[in-house]
Amino acid sequence: MTAPLVQSVGTAKSISIRDMNKYYGGVHALKDLSIEVEAGEFLVLLGPSGCGKSTALRMIAGLESISSGGLLIGDTDVTDVLPKYRDIAMVFQSYALYPHKTVAENIGFPLKVAKTPPAEMDAAVRAAADQVELGELLDRFPGQLSGGQRQRVALARAIIRRPSVFLMDEPLSNLDAKLRGNMRAELKHMQGELGITTIYVTHDQIEAMTLAHRVAIMKDGVLQQLGTPKEVYSDPANLFVAGFMGSPPMNFVTGAITGGTFTAGEVRITGVDAPDHAAVTLGFRPEDCQIDAPGQGILDADVFTIEMTGDQVLVTLRMDGTPLVVKMPKEFEIDAGAKAAITLDPKHLYFFNAQTGARIRA
Amino acid sequence: MTQLNLSKRSIFEAPTIGQMSWATKIVLYALLLAWSAFVLFPIYWLLITSFKDAADVNQGPFFIPWVDFQPSLHAWKELFVTDYEDTLRAYLNSIVISLSATVLSVLIGSMAAYALSRVQYAPNLITILFFVFLLGLTAVAVGMYDVDWRLAAAVAVALFFFLARALGNLYQFRLHNGDILFWIISQRILAPIVVVVPIYIMFQTMGLLDTHIAIILTYSVVNMPIVVWLMYDFFNSIPRDLEESAQLDGATMITTFREIVLPLSRTGLAATTLLVMILSWNEYLLALFLSTSKAQTMPILVAAMNAGERGILWWTMSVAIIVMIIPVVVLAVFLQKYISKGLLVGAVKG
Repeated sequence: MTAPLVQSVGTAKSISIRDMNKYYGGVHALKDLSIEVEAGEFLVLLGPSGCGKSTALRMIAGLESISSGGLLIGDTDVTDVLPKYRDIAMVFQSYALYPHKTVAENIGFPLKVAKTPPAEMDAAVRAAADQVELGELLDRFPGQLSGGQRQRVALARAIIRRPSVFLMDEPLSNLDAKLRGNMRAELKHMQGELGITTIYVTHDQIEAMTLAHRVAIMKDGVLQQLGTPKEVYSDPANLFVAGFMGSPPMNFVTGAITGGTFTAGEVRITGVDAPDHAAVTLGFRPEDCQIDAPGQGILDADVFTIEMTGDQVLVTLRMDGTPLVVKMPKEFEIDAGAKAAITLDPKHLYFFNAQTGARIRA
Repeated sequence: MTQLNLSKRSIFEAPTIGQMSWATKIVLYALLLAWSAFVLFPIYWLLITSFKDAADVNQGPFFIPWVDFQPSLHAWKELFVTDYEDTLRAYLNSIVISLSATVLSVLIGSMAAYALSRVQYAPNLITILFFVFLLGLTAVAVGMYDVDWRLAAAVAVALFFFLARALGNLYQFRLHNGDILFWIISQRILAPIVVVVPIYIMFQTMGLLDTHIAIILTYSVVNMPIVVWLMYDFFNSIPRDLEESAQLDGATMITTFREIVLPLSRTGLAATTLLVMILSWNEYLLALFLSTSKAQTMPILVAAMNAGERGILWWTMSVAIIVMIIPVVVLAVFLQKYISKGLLVGAVKG
C-alpha cells in the first residue's frame, strides 16, 4: 500500500506502532495495533466511542503504559519513555488550558519549563499567537475566552515548541458546527504548512475524511482498515467500515448468492461476480442507486420519507421493513407512501459475509 | 381591551436595591440592622466588660461607657502588666502550637490527599494487619519487658520483610483508595475525648507532658482527617488533563505540582488552613490534659479565670477573649482574598 504524497519538514518524525496491546485488568482495550505513520503524515484514528482510539493515542503520548508491543518515534524506541522525553505535543478534547495563567503564559508554558530565555520566549509566543490569530488576546485568562479562542490557545501551545509529533484527541468536538468547519480547514492548512506528523482521534467520519492522509478505522480495540479516505470509502474491508463511512450510511440487504445470482425475497440480481454463499449482505451507497417507476428497477419498495437537504433530496424507502436511502438530485419529486423501485449500479455493489462481516470479493 | 402587564424582569431575577420601593427598602434595612445588632452585640458586650469594674458588672447591666459607667483599664493592666508573664506565655504557646499543628497537618494531610486522588493504591489487608501486629509486639517488648528498642525494631523489621510476602500470598484481600479514605476519616468519627487517657499515658511514658511537641503532635493528628478529606475533594476537582498536558509540555512532576496544582489549590488550602487553625486555636479538652503550666494555651487561661477564689473574673476574661479573637480575625481577613470561587473557569470546556 502506498501512502499519499506527504510534505514533511526536517523535524517531522515517523511513528511505528508495533503490535501494541492494552489491558485494563481483565479488559483487553487495544488488540495488536500496528500502524506505520510516515513523517509529516496526517493520520486519523476513527471509530465509535469505546473503540480504543483514545487509548491508543494516550499510549502514544505516554499517558498510558503499553501492556505489550512497541512504539518508535523516528528511530527511537519510546515504549517505556516518559511523556516529556517523547517530544510530542497534544491537544486535549477539553483543551486543558491552565486557568490561572494568561493566554501568553499558557502558550509559553512549554518554553518556560524548557528554561528558554525570556526574550526568545516572548518572540516565540507572539509568533505562535499570530499564527492562530490570537495576538490581541495575550493578556486575557482562559475564562474570558470563547470556545473557539480557547481552542486556538491550545493549538498555539502545541505548535510553539515545534514538536516532532502532534497528537489531537477530538479537538473540535466542543465547538459548534460552523466553527468546527472553519477550524477543520485551518487545522488542515496548518498541518500542511508545518509538516509535523499528526495523529488525530475522532468519531466524526466527515472530519476523518476531510483531514486525513490516511484513516485508521477501529472497533472494539481492533484495527478494521487502514487506508486513504478514498480507499476506505470506496473499497471498505468489511461490513463495519462500509456502514461507518458515509453519511447517510450504506444500505444493506441480506440474502444469498447461488450460481452468480443474489437472491433476497423478491429481489434477484444476476451476473454477480462472487462465490456461492448462504448468508450474504448486499451493500450499496445511497448515491450509487436511483429511484424508478414501480417494477422498473431491481428492488420494489414504498417511499417512507423525503428529506430535502438543499443540494440534494434524500429519499428513505422501506422494503419489507428494511430502510433504504437513495440520494436524488434536488429537482426530484415523489410523494411519501408511493410505490417505487430502486435501480442499482452493478459496478458499485458490495457483498459481505452476513455472519462475520468480512467482504466477499470475486 | 385589557392591557398586558409586561414586567421588566422575570420572577426568577432578584431585584436590585435601586429597583425596590421605599417601603421595601426601609423594611429591608431595618431587618438587616436588627440582625447586625444581634450578631455584633456579644462582641460589643465583651469589649465594654473588659473596661468595667467588679461593681459595674455586678450592679449592671450597664450598656454605654461614660454614661452608664466609668470605663477603667484595670483589667487590661492586670493581664498585661501585673500578670503579663502568664498571659504572654499562654499567648505565645497558643500561637506556636496552633501554627505548627496547622502547618504540619495541612502539609502532610494535603500530600496524602493528593496521592489518594491521583494514585490507585491496593495494599494487601493481611500485610497491614501483620505490620500493626508487629508494631504492637515491639511496643509491648520495649515497654513491658525492657527489651532494647533497637533489637526489638530490628527483629520486627526482619520478620516483616521475611513473612509479609508469604502471608500476603496466602490471603489476597486488597484495600482500595476508598477504604484508605474511610479509615482516615474514621479516626475523626471517634471523639478525641475517648483517646485522651491513652494519649496522656503515652506522653507521660515518653516524658513529654506539658511540652509544645506533645500538643502539636496531638493536634496535627486530630486535624489530619479533616485536611485529607477537604483536600481530597478539592484535588479531585482539578482536571487531570491539566497535569497530563503539563507533563507532555515537558514539565517534571515537581514543576507540574508547583506551576499547576499548587496555584489551583490555593482556594482549598486557604480554607482548610483557616479551619484547622481555628480548631487548634480554640481547642480546650486535649490541652487541658496535656498541659499543666509551661505549655498552657489561651483557652486554658480563659477557663482558669472562672475558677479562682475571687469568683468569676468577667473583666479579665473579656480582655483575654478579645486578644484571643484578634489573631483569628487577622488570619481570616488575610486568607479571605484567596478563598474566592471560580478559579477553575476556563480550564476545560467552558
